[in-house]
Amino acid sequence: MSFEIRAFFATIGVLAAISAAPTNAQGVRITSDVDQVAFSVGEQNFTITRGQDAGATLQGEFAKTSRPCPEFCIQPMIAAAGVAPLGELEVLGFLENDVSAGTGLLLDARLPDWFAKAAIPAAVNVPFAALAAENPYQADILRALGAVETADGLDFSSARSLVIYDNGAWDEQATRAITALIAAGYPPAMIKNYRGGLEDWLHLGLSVVLP
Amino acid sequence: MIRSIVALFVFAVALCAYIVIQPDKGGRQANAEQAAVARAQTDSILGPLPDAIAPTNAALIQAPMRNTAPGLALETEHAQMERTAANVLAGLGLNVEPNPNADRVDPMQEMTASVLSGIGAVTGNRIKAGFEAPEAKSALELLVVKALEEGQDDAYINTVVNAAAKAGEISVPDILVTSDGDVDTAVLLSSIISQAQIAAGGPAPAVPNVTTGEGVEVRVVQRATQAEQYRFYTVNQGDSLGAIAVKFYGSVDKFSLIYDANRQILSSPNAIKVGQRLSIPSL
Repeated sequence: MSFEIRAFFATIGVLAAISAAPTNAQGVRITSDVDQVAFSVGEQNFTITRGQDAGATLQGEFAKTSRPCPEFCIQPMIAAAGVAPLGELEVLGFLENDVSAGTGLLLDARLPDWFAKAAIPAAVNVPFAALAAENPYQADILRALGAVETADGLDFSSARSLVIYDNGAWDEQATRAITALIAAGYPPAMIKNYRGGLEDWLHLGLSVVLP
Repeated sequence: MIRSIVALFVFAVALCAYIVIQPDKGGRQANAEQAAVARAQTDSILGPLPDAIAPTNAALIQAPMRNTAPGLALETEHAQMERTAANVLAGLGLNVEPNPNADRVDPMQEMTASVLSGIGAVTGNRIKAGFEAPEAKSALELLVVKALEEGQDDAYINTVVNAAAKAGEISVPDILVTSDGDVDTAVLLSSIISQAQIAAGGPAPAVPNVTTGEGVEVRVVQRATQAEQYRFYTVNQGDSLGAIAVKFYGSVDKFSLIYDANRQILSSPNAIKVGQRLSIPSL
């Protein structure tokens, strides 16, 4: 009797192992019915998938758990009043719909040396320092984002909706960029924050590009 | 018991390692010779160095005073000043690029330019940083342009600009604020002239060698090889940081050298006060 039960469980275990093992290229999907997100921005095509090695673990810079704070301090979920936080699926939806339609932009708020290491596909590097009021050319960037100069200052009504990210929850670069944008008049409702940043993105095995 | 055995074992291993690693006597002698040769070479390399180092000593002495992050703020301040002068010239119909010194690159302008090209690549909305200035000229610039167009003299411009600044109608770059809190229009006007000269293909302003005059103090420190010269300047009434930079370096854009060297007493470029003794680094 005990032997039979053991054999039964062993069989179930083997079956479970077989069904869980990545048997084809679509073994690690984004959601149960989506295995990739493909979109184009201008003439450039992008495809985002997840890495198919089910045994992969994070390595290097993004595998760290503790970083000295101050400097690398845990950021709030709501970076500023009215700025909604997003998860990965919402970011993918934003790329697929808003960015490819030309109404939205995914901004990477990190300094250029970080951006060069890895970035989310189709992201534009706008370092937080460039958005600060101290940058005498700040208005040029705001105009490039779609703000229009009027007699009463900049008009943001036709500006792009933005999703901003940085290295992750322990990185203040996106928070600083968002604060600077709002101080310059960008409506908070047009800004969203992917707080998980590159760390969460990589943790889920999602595609990155080396700009 | 086990511990003492382990300790003995570790000691034995260490002893073996020492015997194996220790070089024989001949080898040690060779090493000593090599070391001597190396030292001799180092000496001969170091020999002429003090003279070469000497002229930069003053700069080295100033180095620890440098704040780690003045770069951006100072570049911005300087860029502002340059832009003001360039915009005044542009207002007069002279086309001057905001950065006439090719060797001086404004890091913020550089960063902005790369941001703009990144956004432009995605949006097709290409904007150049600061160059095609559709941005409105500042009130200060408009005021100076108008006065120059009317052929007004420097004293008139000085009066009008100061009146507007007092009334809060214009904002003024920090380095143009004098020890009295007034606006140093003389420096602005001389900067406009020198930019116009450079734009017209003229030479950059010469660096004067100021060693005498009111408030100027030169200390000579005798060193083994040569004499070191340190210059100091005591702020007089009506001086601005820009004016002091013009006095000692011939150009307002060198003000950051003085500012950096005196950050312990200057909280900001517009905070100079009569009687402050500023160290003037050598170029």
